[in-house]
Amino acid sequence: MNYFFQQLNREWRFMLRQKYILILLTCTFLISSFSVLSGLNEISQQQQTLERLKAADTVDREAAQKKHHDPGSIAYYSFHLTSAAPSNLAFAALGERDIYPWKHRIKMLALGGQIYESDTQNAELAQAGKIDFVFVLSALSPLLIILLFHDLYASERTSGRHDLLVTTAKSSWALWGARGAIRFISLLLCLMVPFYFGAWLSGTNLSNVVMVSFWSVIYLIFWTILSVYWGKNVSSAPRVASGLIGIWVLFAFIIPILGDLTINKLVHSPEGGDIVLTQREAVNDAWDIPKETTMNAFIASYPEWKDHVAMESEFEWKWYYAFQQVGDQTAAPLSQAYRDAAQKKYQLAGIASLLSPPLLLQRVLTRLADTDAVAAFQYEQQIRDFHKRLRLFYYPFLFTQQKLGETQLATMPSFEKLTQTQKAELNSNIDTSQ
Amino acid sequence: MSPNNLSKIIIVAKDEWRYWLRSKLAISVMAIGLLLTLSSVIVTSINMMELSHARHELQDNAEETFIDQPDRHPHRMVHYGHYVFRTPAPLSILDPGIDAYTGNSIFLEGHRQNSAMFADQKQGTALTQLGSLTPAFIVQTLAPLLLILIGYSSVSRERESQTLTYLLSQGTSGNTLILGKGLALLSVIGLILAPLAVAALISLHDGESITAVFAFILGYGLYLSVWALLVLFFSSALSKNSESFTALAFVWILLCVVMPRVASTTAATSVPSAGKLETDFAVIAELRKLGDGHNAADPAFDKLKASLLEKYNVDSIEQLPINYRGVIASSAEAELTHVLNEFAEQRMQTELSQTHVSRQFGWLSPMVAIRTLSMLVVGTSIETHHRFLREAEALRFEFVQALNKVHVEKLSYEDDMNRNKDAAATQKARVGAENWQVLEDFNFEVDKAKQRMQRSLAAFLQLLLWIVLLVVAIRTIGKRLI
Repeated sequence: MNYFFQQLNREWRFMLRQKYILILLTCTFLISSFSVLSGLNEISQQQQTLERLKAADTVDREAAQKKHHDPGSIAYYSFHLTSAAPSNLAFAALGERDIYPWKHRIKMLALGGQIYESDTQNAELAQAGKIDFVFVLSALSPLLIILLFHDLYASERTSGRHDLLVTTAKSSWALWGARGAIRFISLLLCLMVPFYFGAWLSGTNLSNVVMVSFWSVIYLIFWTILSVYWGKNVSSAPRVASGLIGIWVLFAFIIPILGDLTINKLVHSPEGGDIVLTQREAVNDAWDIPKETTMNAFIASYPEWKDHVAMESEFEWKWYYAFQQVGDQTAAPLSQAYRDAAQKKYQLAGIASLLSPPLLLQRVLTRLADTDAVAAFQYEQQIRDFHKRLRLFYYPFLFTQQKLGETQLATMPSFEKLTQTQKAELNSNIDTSQ
Repeated sequence: MSPNNLSKIIIVAKDEWRYWLRSKLAISVMAIGLLLTLSSVIVTSINMMELSHARHELQDNAEETFIDQPDRHPHRMVHYGHYVFRTPAPLSILDPGIDAYTGNSIFLEGHRQNSAMFADQKQGTALTQLGSLTPAFIVQTLAPLLLILIGYSSVSRERESQTLTYLLSQGTSGNTLILGKGLALLSVIGLILAPLAVAALISLHDGESITAVFAFILGYGLYLSVWALLVLFFSSALSKNSESFTALAFVWILLCVVMPRVASTTAATSVPSAGKLETDFAVIAELRKLGDGHNAADPAFDKLKASLLEKYNVDSIEQLPINYRGVIASSAEAELTHVLNEFAEQRMQTELSQTHVSRQFGWLSPMVAIRTLSMLVVGTSIETHHRFLREAEALRFEFVQALNKVHVEKLSYEDDMNRNKDAAATQKARVGAENWQVLEDFNFEVDKAKQRMQRSLAAFLQLLLWIVLLVVAIRTIGKRLI
């Protein structure tokens, strides 16, 4: 044991004397810290934005409900905030939250005209990409490992010490193992310490921290073994590094790009524009076609109101909201195909990422952090569910002239409650299945 | 420079090529580089041309459908709305820029400014987060790596194999040697840029100006020259091949992989933007003061009513020769648009100042500089998108107000007020379809070449500064080369 520590101690002192390794490690630590700090900042901004939006949303809706008194107008003028709050691991994996919206305000009009609105940030910044911990880990750390490990043997060979070292060392592990271990642990610490700090600050649950650590270590070991193995018998360090960087380019760029091209050829998705166009035509045509046609299409889906569709005037709110719903129904197959295509693409991308370790790691970690496309799909589904509850809440008031007073308004569905019950249901399902 | 010196430089350059052609690594790196550039040019060109074609077609369709609508109440057409599509710039076949990250169509309707919908990235595979097969990405990120791989040893190799002292003692000066190596690297740059130049020239056919094409190629030439100079600098300054390689690889990681993202993250952090949803609340609060244009009885319109009655010298709105509801709709739309535009301008200004922060990093990283330069020259930057938003808004306001004018002049107030009485009254409260001709054609074109050049000036300066500094540094080293 003592001997083992002696070896490590010697290699530690040896490393401290190599200036370029120290520079490399310092930069690693700085970049990792920057990514974690900016991630923390981004998430806290998102949380603050949500707090402000929630407050403003309540005030706004209450004002609208005070100003208007008939159910139709109340529904027309009340907006409802829906949002997907960032998870406590999101600071490390910002994921696709800059591309998919995580906040929407919707009202009871046709959803097809509302749900594709996006409140995304500056497109030019989104195009450059963000530097989050997952990026540092998946894309950057392999390069750092390559720089640290490619010349493990080659540098000693070129300086002529290789054979001497090998013959005098007790075992090859005592020499290369100790040297490799010291470099690996130093790099690991420089990368992970900022992450642990961030996790501690944002109260990330332990299981997530353990999972991230696990995947990080596996990933780094993969690249270390690859780098050491690649450089085993080659004496020119740059040649080893060129090959390794080539592999990195293949994994990080070439395979994903080819995957992307193939998947886009394989999966056909309807044009987004067609969904809204179809929906708009259906909604606007309602003004020109007989009211019964609209009402019949409506009661085909909601037969419970079939006795209440007769109209007394040329404009009634119940008909107005019925044709909004019929508009959504008309566009539903297209909209479903659009979502299915997105899901399909995500699944196929999963297969493609099996060939690309950096992307695989990104996928795993953004899934853990709930910041990937799946999270965005789930959020969209939640909005759809909520919109449905909202409609079901209003229909009795619209179709049977029930009074919509303050007591009734208090029972109006809220997005927050919906997501909470969905979460609880999900948890209880997991409990019962175990 | 004497002709003797020039021929020496050429001899050095030729010799460097001979070395490359014998080296398996250099040959394969160059082959891969060329293959990537070529395929990226072809794939992106086809993609963008298809997109351009599709959006032109969608635009024509949208205009036809609008004009083909049946007789209606004019306000129905205000809500029926219209679509506009952002057609890509001719040079976007080489740098699609933010095209996939912003929605490319906007639904225009009364009383609202909708955001652009359906960004391609949202329907994507998320596989291209690290890089995409666009010529811009390949040349900005991978071409420097290629130059490093074939050039890192250009001078240090001579030193390591001890041919350097021999060359210098034979009368070749350090600077001549470096110039020769530089010339060889420049010829590689020419090779990389050739497919880009061909595609850029093709875009002349689609109406791109020669200035923009020239500036685009010049920009990339300057950028890759910065990298050639960096390669020469480290190769001359460091004594070993391996040192030169490690240093260059590390510099590449910092400048090409880390810096662009640090730039965008810093920009987003230092200039927080509220987002559309949040400013919408402020808009709503502001609008509530203005009154609802659907409700002619809103007290907010009392003043307007009084002035109208006075102008036409009548006692009640029923006696007015024009449709009072139309007047209200028109006046409310104008005021509302004023408020909406104010907030939209604010939002765009915030985005611009964010972008400005991120572009300042071009002084620190030539990659950020060329990225900015490329998007600005091509016309796929945030500025062009903002102009699209403004033009779409102008069109929206124009056709909504034109329809409101029809409402005022061609529909009687009495018919309008009775429109919900029965089916016959609803029929009567309509105007003929010939009125839908008010819609102007929308044809979005990229900004004028001169304006794009002006915007990209700072990025050009950034690249030139890098070149000047590196040339000075290399000359100093070249004199002391041993």
